[in-house]
Amino acid sequence: MAMADTRRPVIQVKDLYKVYRVGDTRVRALNGVDFEIYKGEFCSIVGTSGSGKSTLLNMLAGLEKPTKGEIVIAGEHIEKKNENQLVRFRREHIGFIFQSFNLMATMTALENVALPLTFQGVQKERRLKKAGELLDLVGLKKYKKHRPTQMSGGQQQRVGVARALVVNPEIIFADEPTGNLDSNTSEEVMRLMQKVVREQNQTLVMVTHDNHLASFADRIFHIMDGKIVQIEDNRAHRSGDNREMSDGGRI
Amino acid sequence: MRILDLLRMSLGSLLKRKFRTVLTVLGVMIGTASIVVMISLGLGINRAQMENIERFGGLTTIEVWEGRKTNTRTSGVSAVSVIGSASSSSSSSASRDNVMRLDDEVVETLKEIPYVENAYPLLRFDAIAKYGIYEGDLSLVGIPQEGLAQQHIEIGEGHLPESSDELEFFYGNEVALNFYNPKTYEYPYWSTGEAVVDPYKDTLFIIFDREAYINSQHDGKVLPPKKYIIKTAGVEKANEEGRWSTNGYQVFCNLDALVTTLKRIFRNKVIPGQPSTSGGKPYKKIYYSTINVNVDDVEHVMEVQEQIKALGYEASSNIEWIESTRQEMANTQAMLGGIGAVSLLVAAIGITNTMMMSIYERTKEIGVMKVLGCDMRNIQALFLIEAAYIGFLGGVAGLGLSYAISSVVNRVLAAGGESTVTSYIPLWLAGAALIFAVIIGMVAGFFPSRRAMKLSPLAAIRNE
Ligand SMILES: Nc1ncnc2c1ncn2[C@@H]1O[C@H](COP(=O)(O)OP(=O)(O)OP(=O)(O)O)[C@@H](O)[C@H]1O
Ligand SMILES: [Mg+2]
Repeated sequence: MAMADTRRPVIQVKDLYKVYRVGDTRVRALNGVDFEIYKGEFCSIVGTSGSGKSTLLNMLAGLEKPTKGEIVIAGEHIEKKNENQLVRFRREHIGFIFQSFNLMATMTALENVALPLTFQGVQKERRLKKAGELLDLVGLKKYKKHRPTQMSGGQQQRVGVARALVVNPEIIFADEPTGNLDSNTSEEVMRLMQKVVREQNQTLVMVTHDNHLASFADRIFHIMDGKIVQIEDNRAHRSGDNREMSDGGRI
Repeated sequence: MRILDLLRMSLGSLLKRKFRTVLTVLGVMIGTASIVVMISLGLGINRAQMENIERFGGLTTIEVWEGRKTNTRTSGVSAVSVIGSASSSSSSSASRDNVMRLDDEVVETLKEIPYVENAYPLLRFDAIAKYGIYEGDLSLVGIPQEGLAQQHIEIGEGHLPESSDELEFFYGNEVALNFYNPKTYEYPYWSTGEAVVDPYKDTLFIIFDREAYINSQHDGKVLPPKKYIIKTAGVEKANEEGRWSTNGYQVFCNLDALVTTLKRIFRNKVIPGQPSTSGGKPYKKIYYSTINVNVDDVEHVMEVQEQIKALGYEASSNIEWIESTRQEMANTQAMLGGIGAVSLLVAAIGITNTMMMSIYERTKEIGVMKVLGCDMRNIQALFLIEAAYIGFLGGVAGLGLSYAISSVVNRVLAAGGESTVTSYIPLWLAGAALIFAVIIGMVAGFFPSRRAMKLSPLAAIRNE
């Protein structure tokens, strides 16, 4: 029923290159990448260490400039923006989930989730209300007043997920979001992200080197030596679905 | 970001590192306090000196007295020419003996000089007062009514002389203390601390003709001169502890009344202190001792003074004194301020250092903020505000310390008897110091804040 909506590309990457110079040698971290990601998709990027996953993600999020190529997110060319414009673009369109959670140590879970709204200049009651709703969504109703040091890794990453969602972004990026968690907790967080993508019709791009975790996604991009070697459609047999088949209703 | 959120976040990160913040604030506090105390001392000295000058006749009054016509030409020729001109022109005030005397015409001439508000003459006359076995010297000062009001006289009892017909005396507060016994040369006040006479209550006998009186004292055959009883209008207020009055030794009276009285007493004789003709006869008019000229503004005093001197009269004012005092004060204040400035500079470096350290520690945090979309200008603002907070807290603490030091200094100075030199902190100084401390903080924080702004968001991604 939402076919047209799901086929709208949120990200278009064309002929993307990133070359690092180290001394005299050149490292081609990205060597000609093309792909599109659509609204409501959960995509994972997998590959061995050093294959260029993080480089790709950083470039998509506007944290690094590409050497060559185009990145269009929500109709805007990322590669043409200066740093100020990039910051503003991220503030309005992008959510980010970090491997090491990166919560503000002095702030409570609630304040941490509200932080991106603070940067947007949203007034206090409104942003705390929104943050509260998201903490409810990620199942941390009772942890709103907890500081990062008073929470487990899994709980902290849930806060991270809530924080990425709070600005209602066009797209969410996550670089090894479960890299600092044990396998059980990792699966929990993956299911949470799955659920969020589905219920909120969010778009999520996740980097991981773990094939099992990658299989939670709708599509899996295999990357090797800076090139996408295979894009695997995983919708039929993705992990975590067995439990939630009944409420699916999606393709 | 909203201003309130910026302020709140900056304060939060400042309070997170309490110990370091306190140390940095301490530096600013000492810097601010030293500058404020230095300036307040300078201001105190300044004020005391200005008060002194005020008591010595104000800043805009020029005192004019008679001049001597000097000529750079050879004396013989000049003498002849001056004598000639003096006798030929009656309007010239230069008399036969080459002295530029002060009379009513001169007063009018001086009034004509630009910037002069008014001018009035003073006539000084020395008399003797007798009370029982004691006598005292009276320095009479005859002043017109309008001049009397300008003498900064604090009335203790009675009132200032008011009548221009009847001679009334107004006694300075130290006149009574200097009565002595002429036989033994004892000053009762010096030995007992009590004045022997109260001019307001007791009746004094005034002798105007001192020469005749002294002659009669030495030669029994000469009759003593006539004594007069002069009505007392009032007496000056007693001095406060540690203070003294410039009017203390003087006896004020109305100029016209004094002139009339003197003319009556010395009928057909030369009034002591007045010039005489070559034949030893008195002039018809009275020559004054000095003329006080009031100038409209301090800035014009020098100019007017020069013009008066050019007319051939002697003139002096407090302006030269003020100039040298000002110079001296500027030097002292520059030196004192310099000491303060150096300590504030050290404090500023302390702030920069603290901010740099905090930025290195928070590289990752800043990166995360940038990834989450915090505006670059907001990041700079966060650090600038943090530095400004340090400046502000240091400024407030420094002001507190300054007021404490100031009160201690004042207490010490008061105990040492120098009650006029005080350190005082006017409100503008407190305000300026606070603003200055904040500005210092922000200047010191500017470089670190730019640094923070330019940090790479990639720092957030790296896992150390
Ligand atoms: N700043 C840099 N300067 C030089 N070379 C770099 C830089 N960043 C990455 N590279 C190189 O680019 C390549 C891709 O690095 P990238 O971090 O994208 O790998 P990755 O796929 O994320 O690996 P991992 O799974 O270990 O995180 C590597 O060969 C790396 O050495
Ligand atoms: Mg990586």
